[in-house]
Amino acid sequence: MLQVRNGAGEMLGVLFDRYQTPLFNFYSKLTGDRALSEDLVQEVFLRILKYRQSYRPGTPFRAWVYQIARNARIDHFRKFPPQSTLEPETLSAVVPADSAQAHEEVELLQRALQQLPEEKREILILCRFQELKYEEIASLLGCELNTAKTRIHRALQELRKVFHQLAGDTVLKRAEAVAAENSFPPRRSS
Amino acid sequence: MKCEQIAELLPDYLQGSLGSDQQNDVEAHLQQCADCSEEVTVWNKLSLLTAEQPSPASRARFEVMLQAFQAGRSSQPVSVSRWRQRASAWNVFHWLRAPLGAIAWSAALLAIGVYVGLHVSGSKSHLQDLAAMQSELTTIKQLMVLSMLQQQSASSRLEGVSWSTRDPQLNPQVLSALLHTLRYDPSVDVRLAALDALSRHGRQPQVHKGILDSLQEQQSPLVQMALIDLVLEWRDPDGAQRLQALQQIPNLNPMVRQRAEWARSKLN
Repeated sequence: MLQVRNGAGEMLGVLFDRYQTPLFNFYSKLTGDRALSEDLVQEVFLRILKYRQSYRPGTPFRAWVYQIARNARIDHFRKFPPQSTLEPETLSAVVPADSAQAHEEVELLQRALQQLPEEKREILILCRFQELKYEEIASLLGCELNTAKTRIHRALQELRKVFHQLAGDTVLKRAEAVAAENSFPPRRSS
Repeated sequence: MKCEQIAELLPDYLQGSLGSDQQNDVEAHLQQCADCSEEVTVWNKLSLLTAEQPSPASRARFEVMLQAFQAGRSSQPVSVSRWRQRASAWNVFHWLRAPLGAIAWSAALLAIGVYVGLHVSGSKSHLQDLAAMQSELTTIKQLMVLSMLQQQSASSRLEGVSWSTRDPQLNPQVLSALLHTLRYDPSVDVRLAALDALSRHGRQPQVHKGILDSLQEQQSPLVQMALIDLVLEWRDPDGAQRLQALQQIPNLNPMVRQRAEWARSKLN
């Protein structure tokens, strides 16, 4: 980073390779929008170039990058307030699992995550997916370490509740579907 | 242990950073408490959401942006980077020793002296004096900004711009000097900083117009892109027209053209 700060733009390429995927995932899990996430990642690197003089050598680079990333997102939504609440259907599909049950869980988790208030979603993403230490999260959010931990726990509590509810709804729907199928066997075309 | 006590330990438990005693306590509680245990399960399940990969085009876009940036920098005079190396900590001393700094500090000390004198003499209208003194100090600061903007070294000019951001209100002379800097300063960094400083005063019609007019004159892609962002943010009625005029400039950087196109689509 020091080389970037002193003007060696080529070094930014190395930083791009290292950070573009984590940043992309930070944004995509937060917004559920791939195209926007890619735009925001570009914006982060443009800002790194523009504001590189504000990086203080010796301070953690990762925290500085995430500070820029948060600001870029806040500025974006200030300029273009979201038109409507995000529909879970617009999320890109992540299908890593080989079983139907795991696939269903992934979908439920994604929906549950998107239903959390933004600040709770963000803090969970920061600690669970970006693997930031609690100390780094506290300094990023400008709060005490214990406050950060409390917020993480509250976010997790809420995620559990939403997930539980969604899972319950799904089971109920499936039971209804099974009941309907039993009473009216569908015709199968051969 | 109760859930409230566990709540304090759970974040550290999830990261595996508890001592063995506390870890055993948490685990004993999890055996009995369905809610807390489900929280841990949900936390673990989050690992099912694997990392997604950005599209390969992302890297190409970055390359274009970097090239645009480097093209902008290579047009700067060499002296700029040399100056910047000498800047930072040395700047403060340099400043105090420079004639300009000496004058500024003398003026500030004089102002403080006059204020203290008036205050001690028990003047009834000391609030008025204070206000007058503050306005005098502001004038001195703004004069310093004006003087710094005319310095030879880019880092001094940059510092001048950043000084100008300390006052919420700037006099017209400083604003017009900043607009001049935005248009004609040889350093991209100084022009960008001037744009940042000026955009805070974008509600003043002259500043607003001055910033937008500079869009056609900028050569550096970085400044052009920052200006495009401002056009978009301000949503002027003639914003789209200005962007269209920009796009018609021959040899415009492709990244800038693309950004202008994107901004126009957002404006329409």
